[in-house]
This record gives sequence, structure tokens and C-alpha cells, in this order.
Amino acid sequence: MVEGTKKRNRVFDYFCEEDQFAGGVAWCAGCPLELTARFVPQVLGKNMVIVGTPGCAAPVLHGQNVGAWHKLAYMASVMTGVPSKATGLSRYYNRIGQDATVVCFTGDGCATDVGFQPLSGAAERREKIIYLAYDNEGYMNTGNQRSSATPLGAATTTTPVGKISRGKQTISKNMPLIMLMHRPSYMATATLSHLEDFAKKLKKAQEKVKEGFVYLHVFSPCPVGWRINSNMSIEVCRNAVRTNYFPLWEAEDGKPRLTLEVANPKPVVELTKLMRKFSHYKEEDMANLQKAVDERYALIKSLCDAYK
Amino acid sequence: MVSAQKGQVRVITGNAVGAYGAMLCRPEVVAAYPITPQSEIAELLSQFKADGVLDGEYVEVEGENSAMNVVLAASVAGARTFTATSSYGLVFMYDALQETSGFRAPVVMVNANRETPGIHAVSSGQQDLISARDTGWIQIIVENDQEILDQIIMAYRLAEDYDIQLPIMVNYDGFYLSYLAEAVEIPNIEDVDAFLAPLKQQPERQKLVPGVAIGCGTHGMEMGYVEARYKHCQALERVKGKVDEIDKAFGDYFGRYYGGQIEEYRTDDADIVILASGSATGTVRTVIDTKREQGIKVGLIKLRLFRPFPAERLIGVLKGKKAIGVIDRSLCFGWKYGPMCMELRALSPEIGPAPILSYIDGLANLDITVPHIGRVIDEVSAAAQGKPYQEVTWIPMEE
Ligand SMILES: Cc1ncc(C[n+]2csc(CCOP(=O)(O)OP(=O)(O)O)c2C)c(N)n1
Ligand code: SF4
Repeated sequence: MVEGTKKRNRVFDYFCEEDQFAGGVAWCAGCPLELTARFVPQVLGKNMVIVGTPGCAAPVLHGQNVGAWHKLAYMASVMTGVPSKATGLSRYYNRIGQDATVVCFTGDGCATDVGFQPLSGAAERREKIIYLAYDNEGYMNTGNQRSSATPLGAATTTTPVGKISRGKQTISKNMPLIMLMHRPSYMATATLSHLEDFAKKLKKAQEKVKEGFVYLHVFSPCPVGWRINSNMSIEVCRNAVRTNYFPLWEAEDGKPRLTLEVANPKPVVELTKLMRKFSHYKEEDMANLQKAVDERYALIKSLCDAYK
Repeated sequence: MVSAQKGQVRVITGNAVGAYGAMLCRPEVVAAYPITPQSEIAELLSQFKADGVLDGEYVEVEGENSAMNVVLAASVAGARTFTATSSYGLVFMYDALQETSGFRAPVVMVNANRETPGIHAVSSGQQDLISARDTGWIQIIVENDQEILDQIIMAYRLAEDYDIQLPIMVNYDGFYLSYLAEAVEIPNIEDVDAFLAPLKQQPERQKLVPGVAIGCGTHGMEMGYVEARYKHCQALERVKGKVDEIDKAFGDYFGRYYGGQIEEYRTDDADIVILASGSATGTVRTVIDTKREQGIKVGLIKLRLFRPFPAERLIGVLKGKKAIGVIDRSLCFGWKYGPMCMELRALSPEIGPAPILSYIDGLANLDITVPHIGRVIDEVSAAAQGKPYQEVTWIPMEE
């Protein structure tokens, strides 16, 4: 808690609701997903209806052989139907004048892979829903398999390190950019090391969703799958931002803008050294990852510059 | 309730009827994705929306899976919903179909039956509805354009009944009825309102609303899951009686009766009975009349309700008959009999020792013709007299 003498963190100014989750939920120790799930309703308020799906969020949002661990209205979906269910809810709530913020809350695997078609469809139709993808760079609930968001070279259980292959062979999908190309009413990236930035973006999302589709991409390391010490996850988020591995940016009405420009970006090794999913990396692998990170950042930066 | 005003008679296709039927029931959220032979429904409903005739939301989804998910969620939130599909579209909804019935969402869907295997099987057949047999939906098969319309109206009365709360699939033979223009009496919308009004007198069903801590989904607690499934099965059992009741209420009001779960034709004094469904049953009746003139005492059961299977009423009619022929327009892979024949054979202990002959016909747009049906009746009649018979016949393969 904040002590009397210390300056109160400004992020509290964005809170409008108490924590909607029970204490001691079934997430792994140190998992940023838990903090994200607790944080979002505190900023967005209780009129949220969450649409969730199998993934690490499900055991808590939906409940696994026990009741759910929160107080929000919630609809469970298979991975292929999340934004479409949200569409059905939001269309009807809007029609009857029911005040509601419909939020899809899924992992990167659902968003970038098996659930991508309906996500793209809902974005193109400008449905009034918020889609929040927490990005732990793989299918964590099923045991750390690769997704389209898994980075180049990363070792997962389906892109293992072996005699003739060393981790994932391709770069990750640039999902925020792909979603921006749908021209949503709002798109933003966020992560837990930059909470006030995250809160501002949630507030903006809540405003902009009245006009149309909103996509939020939240970097959310997985201590278990990435093999990170459980007290280091926020540090990992911070270094992902400081290395430009995960740029913080947004796009309101299609206009991209960096919300944080890192003055002296660190080399990506400052991030990768904090976890063991890259521990097999040789110098050349690191150079390849650095190149992928630089390329991606340059693209986003030039887009943002073009709109300055 | 007295009786409805005379409606407007128009010559329109089965698909157009599907769109009118939906529109008359005032759905609040509609989502559909085009596929042959259903596309006209999606187009017409979009046109109704563009013209302001359809007041509900129309969601032009990017695929059938989304169509089902949209209407499912809207239904869970409290909306009256509608969608339509066919063939691969239905199969592409497969996960969502199971969720919809698991959520007990009273969605109404029209399915214009089409073959499913192979992308080139753009032709009529009931394989799609058979593929969706175990999804927990109510499945009804209709015969002609008027019945499409009337059954859609009855479907809302059934699906949204407080004691039922299950999704329903109204099936009609694609191509045959999709594109066949027939004279159809379109009821006045006020009369449809009146027919559906009793739904408003029921207790309100549970809905997903923001601010209320309610979780809904289909994978649940161990005993919670079992209980939900048990109640689902119990509701399906109740459907049978409700279908008959609603058919009677509909007939009393609009003047058209369909027999409820099954429609019987000249079965009372029949020695042998043919069981068939869909658009082919009209031809079967004609052939029965001819055969009756020749002294063969034959009748027809038109199977309307396929899920739940109308066991009790079938037993009531078939008990003591001398032989039965079943015409299937689809296959039951891994069994030699057709699917409806398979289902009927499960009732053999109650029906008695009558031989049951299985016929596969009318796949992939092949017509179930007068000579085909004549042959079926002759063979079933011979079997009734104790003559040897073939258990399963693929009619087109023997021509
Ligand atoms: C259609 C379908 N295929 C596969 C699965 C199995 N499955 C459950 S969770 C999951 C991974 C989800 O990954 P992601 O969306 O990234 O969420 P995370 O587990 O990382 O939180 C998979 C593949 C499923 N539930 N549904
Ligand atoms: S497996 Fe990873 S993402 Fe899932 S709850 Fe555990 S730490 Fe979080």
C-alpha cells in the first residue's frame, strides 16, 4: 500500500471500481495475466461483460470444477467464437439501450491463430467491442506450444531445440499492425511495467468503443513457459519496452503514434537474458532476433512519423 | 384467440418463404452467410433490412461459424434471433451448434439441405442434417414452401417455450424447395404476433446482463455438467408433446395442420407403411393412391420431427403392421441401413416382428421418382406376405 509520505501513484486516479477478483486465484505465482485481469475491470468498471475462452485465463474467469473467481458477467466461448459472441451481445445491448462494455479477453494464440478469422471480421464490421489479447507468446494453458506470436528462435514444446532445428524458424506476426490495418476506432499496445500508460489506454478504449472496434495488445510474459523467476515478470515487461522489443504505441482513428519513445534502446539481449526460452541462443541467433526487432520497430516508427 | 385473417397469397420460392417467415416473427438479431442453395435468404433479409421492413440487427458475418456465434450470444442476452445455412455452412458451425444447445439458447435456424462430402456435391441430400444429429438441437423436416413458412412461426413458439429453451433447425430439401416457386399464403404480421403472444406470458428466462455476476458457458463443474445435460435431455423429451400441441394451436388459428411430430397418410387400415421425409413425401402420397386402387393397403408416415425422435407416436402407428419401408436421403456411415431406418430399427422390440426394408435414394439431386416409390411399395408388400426380401437397397445403383 501507498504510505502517507510517499507520493500516491497516479494510476490510482484511473480506478473507478474495487478489485473484482477473489484473492488467491488459480494463476501461477508472478503471472502478469493475473495483474492484467485484476487491473482491467478496476479501470473499466463493473458494467463489463467479458467473453473468454480456453487459455490460461479460463480457470479463473470461467472456473475449473469450481465456481468462477470474480464478480463480473461472463460468457465462455470456444476459441473460434469469441469476437462473434461479443458481436451478438453488443448488438443486442446497444439495441435495447443497455449500457455495457463488451470485452473479449483471450491469449495471443486465440487472437492470432484459431480465432483470427472472427476477430478480423468483427474489426472490419466495426463492431462496438474491445478485444484484449494478452500476449504470452504461445499456447501456455496447453503446455507452452508455439503460436503465431512466438518470436524467432524461441524454444517451445512444438518448436523445440534439437539436433537439426533450434527453436521457432519464423518471426512472429505483427498483430498490432495487422489490427491497425483494419482501421479500428482505437488500437493500442500496453504492458504492466507502464501502468499509467495502460490505464490511459483503457479509458480511451472505453470512449472509442462507442464508435467502433477497439483492439488492445498486452505484453504478458509467462514465468513458467519462458522460464523466468517469478519475481521478475514486471522487469521483463520493462525491458521489453526499453529494448523496443515491445514498442508502446496506439492509433486513434487510424493515426498511429508512439506513446513512449525510448531514448537509448538497449540491445535485445538485455531482455532475453532474463529468461531461459532463449538460453540456447548463439551469437548469430541473437543477431537475427535483433534484426527482426529493429525491422519491426523501424516500420512502426516510420508509420508513426508519417502521421506526426 | 379466434382465427387469423386470410393472408396474402404469393408465388415465391422456398428461400423467399424462409426470409418472409423469419421477418414475420420479428427477430431482433439476424446473422447469415451465403451458401448455395440458401443464399437468397441472406440476400432477402439484407434487403428487408435495407428497406426498413426488418427492424432487427442484421450482421453480415464473415462465415457461418460467426453467424451461429452471433445469434447464440444475442440469444443468451435475451434477443429473438434467426440464421440460415446449408451443407458446409452447417458443418462449419459444428462447435457453435453444440454450444448453442448447451447454452439452451432458443435460436431458430433454417437449413436448406445439401450434400456435404466433396466440394462438388452442390446438390440436394439430407447428409448435412444427419451430420448435425447429435448436437442437441431440435430438428424438423418440412415438405413444401407453405410448410417452411408455417414451421418457422411454430419454431419460435417451440424454441422459446419456457419449458423447452432449445435451438431448432427447420430443414427443407435444398434445390427442390429452395428454388421452387409455389403459391404460399403469407399471414399478416399482426396474426403472427398474436400467435407468438403466449410466449410473453411465461416467466422470463435467465439472461446475461452486465453488472450481474453470472457466468455462462458449456464446460462446467462435474455434477453441474451432468445436471445440465440431464435437463437438456429432459427438455428434448418434452419437445415431442409440445410439437403436437403447437401444431394444433397453429391449425386452430391459421387453418393449416401438419400432424405435429409425424404426419400420417392412409395409415389407419394399412398393412404396410412407408416412412419418408421432406419434399419426396408428396410423390409418395400419389403413388400410394395408385397402389391403393390396385388393392395394396399402404400408408405413409411423413417424419417431421427427427430430433427428438418421435418414438412413441411411431410405435403407436406401426405396431402390428406387416412390413415397413424406409426411404433415406442420406447415409449412416458404418451401418448398411440409412439413418432414419437405423433409428426406426431401434424401435423394433415395440413395433413387432414386421420386416423393415431400407432404401437409399435421392442422394445428390437424384429424384425419388414415381417408379422408384412403386418398386418400394411392391417389395415391401411382398415382404409382408412372407416373401424373401433385400434388407438394404441403393435404388440408383440398381437402375
Ligand atoms: C478449437 C480448440 N483447439 C484447441 C484447444 C486446446 N487449447 C486450449 S487452450 C489453448 C491455447 C490457448 O493459447 P492462448 O490463446 O495463447 O492462451 P494462453 O493459454 O497462452 O493463455 C489450446 C490450443 C481448444 N480449446 N479449442
Ligand atoms: S502458464 Fe504462464 S501464462 Fe499461464 S498462468 Fe502460468 S505463468 Fe501465467
